Amino acid sequence: MSELADQSNAVDPRLLEVLVCPLTKTNLRYDRERQELISESAKLAYPIREGVPIMLPDEARKLED
Amino acid sequence: MNDTPQTSFGFRKIDQNERQSLVNDVFSRVANRYDVMNDLMSGGLHRLWKRDMINWLAPSKVAPLALLDVAGGTGDIARRFLDATGPQSTATICDISAEMLEAGRGKLASRYGQRLRFVQGNAEILPFPDRSFDAYTIAFGIRNVTHIEAALAEAFRVLKRGGRFLCLEFSEVQTPMLDRVYDSYSFHVIPRLGELVAKDGEAYRYLVESIRRFPDQERFAGMIRAAGFERVQYRNLTGGIAALHSGWRI
Repeated sequence: MSELADQSNAVDPRLLEVLVCPLTKTNLRYDRERQELISESAKLAYPIREGVPIMLPDEARKLED
Repeated sequence: MNDTPQTSFGFRKIDQNERQSLVNDVFSRVANRYDVMNDLMSGGLHRLWKRDMINWLAPSKVAPLALLDVAGGTGDIARRFLDATGPQSTATICDISAEMLEAGRGKLASRYGQRLRFVQGNAEILPFPDRSFDAYTIAFGIRNVTHIEAALAEAFRVLKRGGRFLCLEFSEVQTPMLDRVYDSYSFHVIPRLGELVAKDGEAYRYLVESIRRFPDQERFAGMIRAAGFERVQYRNLTGGIAALHSGWRI
């Protein structure tokens, strides 16, 4: 990723620290490449779009086992 | 035959599962004109009510406070909170509508920097840990939530001990005469205004009907107590057109 990446689209690292999975309330893993927040317990990947985490199960990508 | 539980969308009966997407649709359609419409619909009163909300919250200017503002997409409460508090305090806006969040972000993101955070989420299943906020606010949002009890339980869960819950919502007019004027205004004038300004009379008809279906002051206070909050109180604003409800997690 470029250091010149648009700041307005970067997600605030302190915000990521205070998010949990809305279904299981467990911690999330940040996948920087894919811009996703992974909930291992719910098997869901929540997308981050333009710096905004989309914490809605309906919008999340299902993870295979 | 239909096994899906029924719920209300304005005065229509619909499936519970369908409701949230219909509500989201209303807000995505009006997001750009939402602030202008609020001014027109309330004659500017919503600004005074929101100021009253922050005044009652009375946040410390020095202590670092964390606010969660639910359904606060356009940022009206969050920016007032950030203006009233010190540089260590933060506001997190959690809204289910991407369009409402975008409207707030466009206006406020550069002004408050990292003090203001945006998350798309559902009030019934908040994506925050237990006991993580000093205050929870929801202004003109809770009546759009399908399961109000679930949203109140989540509010209680994410508040720290000593944390404050404040809700601003349209309520039941408690002044004789004003109720009749308000009835005719809200059912006839507001949808017409919605048509003219936001080009969407149907969306504003939903808003008016949803106001009428929302529990009155006492009943809503009871629901807040049932969620575990203590010292629950309310204040009527402008004769009860709106009400502020307050509770503490002790």
